[in-house]
Formats: sequence, structure tokens, C-alpha cells
Amino acid sequence: MVPVEYYLLLSSAVFCIGLYGVLTRRNALYFLMSVELMLNAANINLIAFSLVWGNLTGQVFALFTIALAAAEVAVGIGIILVLYRNFGDIDVMDAATMRW
Amino acid sequence: MTVSTYAQAIVLLPFVSFVVALLARDNLPKGGAYSGIAATAGSLLLSLATLAAVYGGQTVNDTVYEWAVGTGAQDWTLSFGVLIDPLSALMLVIVSLIALLVHVFSLGYMNDEGEDDLPRYYAGLGLFTASMFGFVVADNLLMAFMFFELVGLCSYLLIGFHFREPGPPSAAKKAFLVTRFGDYFFLVGVVAVFTTFGTAAFAGTESFPALAEAALGGDATVWTPGNIAESTWFTIVGLLILGGVIGKSAQFPLHTWLPDAMEGPTPVSALIHAATMVAAGVYLVARMYGFYVLSPTAMGIIALVGGFTALFAATMGVVKQELKQVLAYSTISQYGYMMLALGSGGYVAAVFHLTTHAFFKALLFLGAGSVIIAMHHVEDMWEMGGLKNKLPVTYWTFLAGSLALAGIFPFAGFWSKDEILYETLIHGLNEPLLLVGYVFGLLAVPVTAFYTFRMVFLTFHGEPRSDLARDPHPVRWNVKGPLSVLGVLAVVTGGINLVPVKKVVGIKGIDYLHRWLNNDWGGLAGLSSHHYAKIGPYESAYLPGGEVATVLAGAAVSLTLALVGLALAWRLYGVADPAEHTAKLGQLRELLYNNYYQDEYQVRIADAVRDAASGADTVDQGVVDGVVNGVSSISLLSSERVRRIQTGIVGNYALLLTLGLTTLLAVFALLGGWFQ
Repeated sequence: MVPVEYYLLLSSAVFCIGLYGVLTRRNALYFLMSVELMLNAANINLIAFSLVWGNLTGQVFALFTIALAAAEVAVGIGIILVLYRNFGDIDVMDAATMRW
Repeated sequence: MTVSTYAQAIVLLPFVSFVVALLARDNLPKGGAYSGIAATAGSLLLSLATLAAVYGGQTVNDTVYEWAVGTGAQDWTLSFGVLIDPLSALMLVIVSLIALLVHVFSLGYMNDEGEDDLPRYYAGLGLFTASMFGFVVADNLLMAFMFFELVGLCSYLLIGFHFREPGPPSAAKKAFLVTRFGDYFFLVGVVAVFTTFGTAAFAGTESFPALAEAALGGDATVWTPGNIAESTWFTIVGLLILGGVIGKSAQFPLHTWLPDAMEGPTPVSALIHAATMVAAGVYLVARMYGFYVLSPTAMGIIALVGGFTALFAATMGVVKQELKQVLAYSTISQYGYMMLALGSGGYVAAVFHLTTHAFFKALLFLGAGSVIIAMHHVEDMWEMGGLKNKLPVTYWTFLAGSLALAGIFPFAGFWSKDEILYETLIHGLNEPLLLVGYVFGLLAVPVTAFYTFRMVFLTFHGEPRSDLARDPHPVRWNVKGPLSVLGVLAVVTGGINLVPVKKVVGIKGIDYLHRWLNNDWGGLAGLSSHHYAKIGPYESAYLPGGEVATVLAGAAVSLTLALVGLALAWRLYGVADPAEHTAKLGQLRELLYNNYYQDEYQVRIADAVRDAASGADTVDQGVVDGVVNGVSSISLLSSERVRRIQTGIVGNYALLLTLGLTTLLAVFALLGGWFQ
């Protein structure tokens, strides 16, 4: 059986990649994909601990997260469409008027 | 339906009319007059039912609502309650009757004269009446104080009804501030009563008058500041509360607001002077009389202030040229009589005069209102004259009221004023202080008769002295109706308490008011005139010849003096073309015209404390407001800086989120001891 530390390493690596994408990318689609990566890093964590404790709760939570990610993508794509209509581009730095 | 429910309904009905007038405003017929009339008529019927219930032996001393319950050492309960005993039942009838008649009269004085903004007027009248009812049925001092303040607020609103003119708002402010000055002492007194007795209830074995009586008798202990003697402390507390009474009942030296209050509409003056505002002060002393009689010093001060005010105000009434001004000074003077009666142990006499005065003073004010309508709002008596034949109903009723005010046999005022003087005399023969009050009261009698009939002769007799007086505006039923009702009452009310007849002729039981307030038909223990006389400081003494001779001599002297005043007024002003005789007064004339410079010296006192006030203002503006403003400007400035982090760029938000998460992780790691 693979030790749990490996799962955790994998998950933190995926999470950090996602985080890096969110922090550096300007394209909204990349943004969305990076968020997906971070969500899936969390899923890996849940399933890993589910395996370790022999308890299905973690897997059920992972399923919920997948459903939630699907919904989030739907909303995210919608936002990107509106972004494109308004700014002619999907650069997230363009939409900077909602501030003080 | 219990009596307690009646009492609550009596208070709520005019309040409902106030709310209706406030909310419906312009959608009401006659500007809200009908709802006011309906409400006060309902209150009158319920008051009569309450009176009948008290006659049948029922009384109420209930707590209706407790709005604060103390804990620990200060386990005081603050509550609203209803106290119905012979005194409050009688007062309810007086207030509701006068309020109803004033509402009806307002139809003629306000609606028919085409005044604007009538819903505001009727809303004020409704709240005024409701507050007075609440004050009358109050079962504890704090509730009484709250409604006392409401009464003051309503008088402010109504005196300043014509707020677009310069005079009324100023008069309203003066009335409010002067009475507030007295009420400040009252408030301190209420707190003192709570700290001393732990209760402010008027009636029952656990009430503050009963506890005070027990404490003086050594049967109970109460807190006193610095362990000073209980009798001294009770005197101080009584005098503090008396401050509110002196302000509201317009006693010297806080009487200056009342003549100015004539700026208000005349029906409001009738309500203020006869049944509500000014009556509230005297009623309060009567309500907690069981406390005042325990302190001979407080009683002496009440008597002296009352007697002095009676004479002092009467002399100022002599030279006034405006109809309502004369009546204003007569009100101050008459309430002085009531205070004299209360201070000299004449509890029943004071309530009796409160009753008769309510009727004849309301009558005189409404009569003056009728004259003012007829004269197209000219109030100077030198412009009048000869209105006798043009306004017969007004003349005859006004004459009845004037005879009552002057104390001419057998009108209502004769009996009540005579009883006050009689009580003062028999208690004063052993107490030189009261005798001084008696002399003041006696000297005021001819002065009262003189200014009253000067007013009558100048207004109604002789030749008309202006075009307006030659062709007065007619008045309608809504003016004549209330006048007629009050005219009859001013003649017959004396019949409720024919003590001299009882004593001289010997008919038993016709002193109904004495028996009523003595709980002959039922009442609350400890709230009877009998009880007050027992614990009071005075003993009766009679002139040589015994009781009957004293009664006859007292009545003869006061009636003679009243007739002298009347005759003098007739001699000077009862001619076809009267002249001003004030020049004969010499230097006294200026003094009287300027009201003994009372306003001037009060303004000087106010100016003298202006430095202290501006110092307090500086502290308030600088320190108190400074702290508040400082806090707000610091938050404003810092938020101005902090909001810069809201750049609107998503990437920055994501970065901040990440940094925040990292910081949180680091903090938890350190505090959680992960690195140890």
C-alpha cells in the first residue's frame, strides 16, 4: 500500500501548480483551469485519507466537490463570456473598474 | 369590564384620537374634531362609570405593566399602574368634561374661523388629554412624572400652535423651559424617593407615604443620606418634588411662563388652566398628600408660597388691558389659593377649589374666546364695551363665571374660597405662619373681585368703544353650548360641599365632597382626608364664640371684602364711558405694568450664569464631542487608506487571499507548537 505521505505530496504539488496559475496567468480560461487543479488537489487529499481510515465519507465528499466544480465551471464560463462581450478580451486584469 | 379596564380605556381613547388625527390628517372631516369629540365623550362616559363604581365602594390599585425589574440590592420595580380612588375618580370626571367642552368649543373657535393645519391642533388636544388622564390615574410617582412631562410637552406644542408668528413659539419655549426648570427638581425628588423607600407607589401599605409615616413612628427604617434625621430628609424630598409643582402650577417664582402662554389658541388656554397642565401640580400635591403632611416645614412653605402667589398675581391682574391676560393672572392667583389650602391642611378645601375653579375658569376662558371671535381677534378690553346686548349667552355665562371667581354668594367660587380661608384660619390660630398666609389670601379677595369686574364692565358694559364692538361677529351653537353647560356648573357646583350650611344650620351629611374624600363610600386605606388630618401637623382652634361664630365671621369678612372690590370696580368702570384710572397708582403703575420686573430679573439671572453655561458648552463641544468626533475621524482616515487594497484586479485579490492563508497557517503553526 502506498504510504499516505505520497498522496499528500502529490496533492500539495497539484495545489501549488494551481495556485501558481491563479497568481500568474491573465487569461481567464487558464484561471479557471488552475482553480480546477486546486479543487482536485483537495479531492486527492480527501480520497487519500478515506483510504487510510477505511471510511467512505471522504469519497462521498470528493463526489460532492466534483459536482460543485462542474457547477463552478458553468458559472465561470458564463462570467468569461460576459467578460469577452464587455472588454473584447478575456484578460482578467482588464476588468478593474469594480473598486473604490 | 372592571374599573381598571375603564381607567385604561379612558387614557387610551384620546390617545387613539391623537393617532388618528396624526395618521389620517387631511382625510378627516373637520380636521379631526369629530374623532376628538367622540374620544373625549367616551372618556367622559367611562369616567362617570368609574365615579359610580367608586361610589359603589370599588377602588383600584393595580399594576398594569412592569417595564423594568431591578436585581440585587436595588430590587425596585418600575411599572405603570392604575390607582382609582375618590380623588382620581373626581379628577377624571373634571378633566374629561372640560376636555369634551373644549373640543366642542374648538369647532367654533378654530374650524369656523378658518384656521389652517387643524389635524395638528386636534392631535395636540388628544395627546394633551390622554397625558393628563395618564397622570391622574398614575399609581406611582415615576409614572406620574412621565405623564407630567408629556403634559408639559403637549402644552409646548399647543401654545406654539401658530408657529409662523413670532410670539407663540417664543411663549411655548418659555413655558417649556420654565416648567422644565421645576421638573428638574421633581426628577431628583423621584430618584430620592426611590433610593429612600425603594418604591414610588402612592397607595397601599408598601407605598412611600405609608413607609415614611412608619419611619417617623419608629416602625420602619429607611435610607437617608449621611444618616441625617428622617424628618429633615423627608422635608428635603418633599421640597424637591414641590419644585415640579411650583413650575407646573405657576407659583411664585416660576409663574412667569403662564401669562405668556396666552399666545396659544383660547380653547387651549381653557384646557391648560382649568383641567390639565396647571391643575397637574396641585393634583400631585393632593395625590401624595400623605407624604407632605408628615413635614410641617414643607407644609408651611407650601402655604406661604400659595398665599403669597394668590395676592401677588392678583395685584398684577388689576392693570392688564387684555382680556386673556387678566384671566391668566387670575389663574395664577387661584392656584395660589389651592396651594394655600394644601399647605394649611385643607385637603378637601383644595380639591373643592380645584373642582369649582376648573368649571368657572374654563367658562371664563371659553367666554373670552367667544368675545374674541365676536371682536375678530381683538383682545384689548379698551376696544370693547357694550357687548352685553349683542352677546347675551356669552354675557350671562361670563357673569356667572365672574361672580364665581370673585367669590360672591352663592356661586361656586364663594363656597370653595371660603372653605380655604376658613381652614387656613382655624389651623392658623395656633400657627403664626399660616396666619400670614391667611392674611395674604384675605387681601387677595377684594383685589380678585376688583379685577374680575373691571374686566366684566370694560368688556360688556358701557358704550361700544370701537367699530368692531358696535357690530360684533355672531357666535354659533358650538360656542354657546359649552358656555351654557359650564355656566350652570359655575352656579351650582358649590352645592357639592355646603360645609358652612352644615355647621351653621346643622343639616347633617350635605358636605358631600368631605364625605367623598373621607372614604365614606369606600376608598383606599391611608388615602382619606380623615387619615391626613390625623397624621397632619395642625390642630384646629376657633375664634371666641366657637365653631359657628368662626364660620360666620370668616364668610362675612371674605364676602364683604369681595363686595367692596366689586363695588369699587363698578364705581370706576361701570359707567357709560369709563376712563383708565391707572394713573392714580403713580409709581406703582409702572411696577404692576412690568409685572414687578419678574421677567427682567430672571433674564438677569440667566445672563449671570451664561459664563458657566458657555464653559459647560466648551467642555461638551471640546471634550465629549471631541472624543466622539476623534474616533470617527480616525476610522474615516484609516479606511481611506485601507480601501486602497481594493484594486479591482482579480490577481491582487488572489494574492491577498493566498498571503492571508499563509499568514494564518504560520500563526496557527506557531501557536499550535508545530515547530517544537
